[in-house]
Amino acid sequence: MTRFSAGDHVQVLALGKEGHVRIPHYIRHQTGRVTEYCGTYLNPEDLAVGNTSGRAVDLYRVAFLQRQLWPDDAIPAQDTLIIEIYDHWLRSVKETENAP
Amino acid sequence: MPHDHQHGEHEALIIEDEAGNIEAQIIIDALQQVLIGKGLLTAHEVTAAIAKLESPGLHLGAKIVAKAWTDPTFKSRLLSDGRAAVQELDIPVTEARIIVVENTAQLHNLITCTLCSCYPRSILGQPPSWYISKAYRARSVREPRQVLAEFGLDLMRDIKLVVHDSNADMRYLVLPEPPHDVERYTISELETMISRDHLIGVARGDG
Amino acid sequence: MQDGKGPKGYHDVGGDAAGEIPMVELPWLHWEKQVEAIRGLLGDGTRRIVSLDEVRRGFESFGVEKYNTLSFYRRRLEAMTDILIEKGIVSRTELDRAIEAGKVRWSDLDEKL
Repeated sequence: MTRFSAGDHVQVLALGKEGHVRIPHYIRHQTGRVTEYCGTYLNPEDLAVGNTSGRAVDLYRVAFLQRQLWPDDAIPAQDTLIIEIYDHWLRSVKETENAP
Repeated sequence: MPHDHQHGEHEALIIEDEAGNIEAQIIIDALQQVLIGKGLLTAHEVTAAIAKLESPGLHLGAKIVAKAWTDPTFKSRLLSDGRAAVQELDIPVTEARIIVVENTAQLHNLITCTLCSCYPRSILGQPPSWYISKAYRARSVREPRQVLAEFGLDLMRDIKLVVHDSNADMRYLVLPEPPHDVERYTISELETMISRDHLIGVARGDG
Repeated sequence: MQDGKGPKGYHDVGGDAAGEIPMVELPWLHWEKQVEAIRGLLGDGTRRIVSLDEVRRGFESFGVEKYNTLSFYRRRLEAMTDILIEKGIVSRTELDRAIEAGKVRWSDLDEKL
């Protein structure tokens, strides 16, 4: 059983981790909606330091409204960005209007 | 030594000059020699790996798209499990998963990688230089419509634009819209209509 | 970081201001393919000596000045070398010796051509 499924509202955490992470700065703290579960993958944060025996982590694709990411820009309401986020970078949030 | 290659207002693309290319060739030859000396790889393995890197390219992408345009059951398999469907065509896929995103009259998809330059290399080969440029990586997620305009595509505002940042383990291919009279063409004619830019989403083949 | 979003690496450019897209298509050079081939071999299932994520960590910790002066595959080459040295798989000395020998071969070649 995965922690999230398609349609769930989530927020991307800012874990403050130094070193190699795959969750870009621009998406941290943003809220969006899970579109798809992608399976489990070795955590790149472990792989980057040569640890290949770490626990595999769940990976999701999460959709965000472009308008919410870049509030100062004039962006059509429907435009969307989808990015992959590992489970430990996500938390569940109540439904929000700011999700595609 | 490497230097910034500046073209007017264009964002600098970092490339090697001739001396830098020779220096890099000497370093990688030296590294290869040391690794061979330790029995960690062989010259034959390196030659074979280079050949494998050289074999994919647009021709494979075009084959996948033309097949999807003419075979609806293949298309639905391609959209539900890209990797498995691509492998049906005897294309070896080394990426964990291929996600194929479909353009429609109301929807346009654009692929990018902001952190490095992830790309479906086992299908399309080496990414174009602009794809790995800082300008494309930085701007494709923030002002994708302006980026498309620089590629000559003025996307109508009522068409939904979806940008896919390939930041982790998935790799993406855009399935462009077929021409409206798709049934009039042979497979090989259809294949010639498909460009690499269509498969990244910086071009749109409106039918 | 003041925004509470944690560290932002210099490679993490999504959303940053940048100039026009450089609309160029450069050839893929032999040394670049060789870097990619060797990186792939070192990371494959039978070897598992250097992973792509380790190489990424390598060029993400170069420091911004070095990162911004090296081309895409040069970054990968330098980072892969750093990781191999860090892991004790090759030594700086033996690599430098092989590089010096390579330079001599190149200059000999230059004279012959």
